Amino acid sequence: MAEKKIAIYRFMSAGCNGCDVQIFECLVPRYKLGDLGVEIVFTPEEANVLAVTGSINVKGAEELKMAYKKLKPPKIVVAVGNCATTKGIFSEGYPIVGPPDRIVPVNLYIPGCPPRPQAIVSAIAKALGVSLDKKEDYWGTPEGFRGKHEFDAEKCIGCGACAQVCSSDAIEIIDEDDKRLVKINYARCTFCGFCQDECPTQAIRLTKEYHLSTDNKKTAYVMNEVEMLRCRICGSYYVPSEQIRWAVERIMEKAAVYRDLRKELEDAMQICPECRRKIVNVENAKKLLTSLAIKTRVS
Amino acid sequence: MPRIVRIGPYKPQLLEPERFELLVEDNKIIDVNIELGYVHRGIEDLFTKRTYMQNLALAERICGICSGVHTLCYAQTAEGIMNVEIPDRARYLRCIYMELERLHSHYLWFGVLAHTLHEHEVFLKVMTERERIQDLLEYLTGNRINYLINTIGGVRRDITPKKAKRILEVLKDMKNLSNYLLMLLDSDEAFVEKTREVGVLPRGIALDVGAVGPTLRGSGVKSDIRRDDPYAAYEELDFEVVTEDEGDALARTRVRARETLESIRIIEQALENLPEGEISVKPREPLEKEEIGRAEAPRGELIYYIRSNGTNIPERVKVRTPSFANNFALTEMLRGDIVQNARLIIESIDPCFACTDRITIIDVNTGRKRGLELM
Repeated sequence: MAEKKIAIYRFMSAGCNGCDVQIFECLVPRYKLGDLGVEIVFTPEEANVLAVTGSINVKGAEELKMAYKKLKPPKIVVAVGNCATTKGIFSEGYPIVGPPDRIVPVNLYIPGCPPRPQAIVSAIAKALGVSLDKKEDYWGTPEGFRGKHEFDAEKCIGCGACAQVCSSDAIEIIDEDDKRLVKINYARCTFCGFCQDECPTQAIRLTKEYHLSTDNKKTAYVMNEVEMLRCRICGSYYVPSEQIRWAVERIMEKAAVYRDLRKELEDAMQICPECRRKIVNVENAKKLLTSLAIKTRVS
Repeated sequence: MPRIVRIGPYKPQLLEPERFELLVEDNKIIDVNIELGYVHRGIEDLFTKRTYMQNLALAERICGICSGVHTLCYAQTAEGIMNVEIPDRARYLRCIYMELERLHSHYLWFGVLAHTLHEHEVFLKVMTERERIQDLLEYLTGNRINYLINTIGGVRRDITPKKAKRILEVLKDMKNLSNYLLMLLDSDEAFVEKTREVGVLPRGIALDVGAVGPTLRGSGVKSDIRRDDPYAAYEELDFEVVTEDEGDALARTRVRARETLESIRIIEQALENLPEGEISVKPREPLEKEEIGRAEAPRGELIYYIRSNGTNIPERVKVRTPSFANNFALTEMLRGDIVQNARLIIESIDPCFACTDRITIIDVNTGRKRGLELM
């Protein structure tokens, strides 16, 4: 039994209630929330911890402020789920004024969409400094679980397909001169797995890691860095070098007849689109590109 | 002199926020006003800013309990827009996943009801057993809720013989749980006494106000989209549309408990007759047209409307969720009953405000609000 008595009051505004159900499920004896001395109460006056879910809309904001005011000390606020952490998929929603940390001070974030009950309980235990039973049948995740992302730095070509298909704009492509950063904000992610499905080189994998709680949400990301290629003519960085290498390989695979023109193709592709338009004298490359274009159109 | 009793938005142990203003005279509810908006997120607007595929994740997050059926209904409607026919195996798999969802939704609701009635033992039993379904869904789809299993053109994950075996194992236990719940509803005084003749919704009124799902079936109307307008593989599967005639909270409870047994039957049949083949086909280019899709969510009829302009971003998506339709029935149920029963009655329609809260209009600039007035 933990010594401190924790009384959690649940507050939701502008969420899907998935996280609420997860908190509700924590009451099941299996999750041992009671062992930590934690109970869920139904008025803010009885509570000392506020578990906020949802991205908070204009109507909920006032209520949230009121609930926070009524809270007993030490007034701990826990943001449960990705909506409560970063507004998640609802970021562009017109009535959304959250995330909650813009309205009340938040002490702990538990990312996930929704976080597993185990993640919620373990985050609370961590905050209390209590260790929990570590049996596999309790903490284990099944094969194919969609958790935190992992990059295979060897495979990633920095093409940005993941950012294109992302259902909640959680993936950012940041170009910084000689390097491109592919940044996955898993605190904004819906864990739909579209990025994993669409990655042409299988460089993104959703792992079984789900204990994502943090007190600094700015650290809730995984990032990969790829090298950028300099244009041979103007010298500007315009595309990741791995992407060009990958594209050349694919062309060779698809159109093996042009294998002996590989060198020319590589040269031509190392010129940025702007410069390419200006050149007239790279004869071989031009010929190659035109014939490739014709071939694709025919097939 | 009538007084106003306010329930909510955050005060009672409702799972979700919503404000009820009850006009009460001599302990009797004479009128009700429901104020929504605490869960409003502007989803229909967001739908028109993303591609058809990305919208799957958004549709799912309309509601965290019946998330699967939202993707199913959305995908069905989008398949109409793209003129895509899904493979037979996918049709059967969809039935299996959706009935599993109905099971966990109905059991959760029973847990909430037991919680409301202070039946702590029952609550713990139902919720503990229900965890097996949640584990199963996580094992099959990769997430406990928001599984994103339906996609435009089919489903995303297959059910292998090994997985099928595990499903059947879990269902065996669920059958026992459902029978236990039915036994409670037949003989347990606490349950029967507290729910009988509470929140009565007569058949005629239920039809008039357009109730849907178990709320309507609890008033003796045989209505179920799975039978009336079959989708997925429901036409080829044998199941009974469960109805009860009394129209009170007990009848609605019985309908849901009996439905879980039907769901188990559907899954067993679907697993037995699962056709071989692909589980999905590639979506095509959207055509310039409009389309309506319907599905039977755990709470009743769910409707999606999509208008396409031929681009890969829909021009308009409109969602009619079951809880919205049932809110009108709720007003009728509350009217005339005693105020102590109010919370139980609200629970008895299994309301899902996350679903419903897309109808309050809030002007962010002026702060002017226009809610759903049910006075």
